Amino acid sequence: MIFSKTHFSLLLGAVSLSATLSAFAVEEGDSAPDFTLPSIVSGQPAISMSELKGKTVYVDFWASWCAPCLKSLPLYNEMYKKYQDQNFEVVAINVDNPVEDGLDFLLDTPLDFLIPSDPDGETAELFQVIGMPTSYLISPDGTVELVHMGFRNGDMEIIESAIEKVLAGN
Amino acid sequence: MSRVLKPFLIILALANVAACTQVQPWQRGYLAKEEMAWKTDPLESALNDHIFFSKEASSGGSSAAGGGCGCN
Repeated sequence: MIFSKTHFSLLLGAVSLSATLSAFAVEEGDSAPDFTLPSIVSGQPAISMSELKGKTVYVDFWASWCAPCLKSLPLYNEMYKKYQDQNFEVVAINVDNPVEDGLDFLLDTPLDFLIPSDPDGETAELFQVIGMPTSYLISPDGTVELVHMGFRNGDMEIIESAIEKVLAGN
Repeated sequence: MSRVLKPFLIILALANVAACTQVQPWQRGYLAKEEMAWKTDPLESALNDHIFFSKEASSGGSSAAGGGCGCN
């Protein structure tokens, strides 16, 4: 036998450690991580979570290669228009690398809310995004009220009812 | 097993652990490309499945759930 039992368990331990190190995703009830990212549109000011404190924020992670993301964004735009006068903000973080892929999509689908760019996935890593798309509803005090993964028909009702609940609590 | 070779092999094995990394959901841009799919033509794959079913009188087991953006 090449390896002893101890050596083998040491190796096994190292493998499982490397797999679990990144397993702490942001969940409902956690406080939302703070981030500052440049806008995807050059010349626009940077977008920072701390500046949005006191607002109800809907943070969404999307990419141009993710079909359900592209389906959700125009609907989020309607949602944004519906609630924007109630201290509500949508922050749709684009993780496209190259960034141009994301910009190409925005040329065809103009969106009115904030779109920061995170090509290196630093903020996605901070949130430990579990799938694409994943969105987080953050209350004015910075608590994550809803984590929503994927996008299917009928999801808008779930998301909007959660938003209305948070807005009513203000 | 020589006394030199054994620790060397262990270090080599541990160094390879660095390659045991998970592709994160936000890094799946290349994997989500059409040409990265096992079956790029849905029509052809449906036809193949139909021929397989006719010949073997069994179907399924030709695909796995998941992949792409890791959302469904």
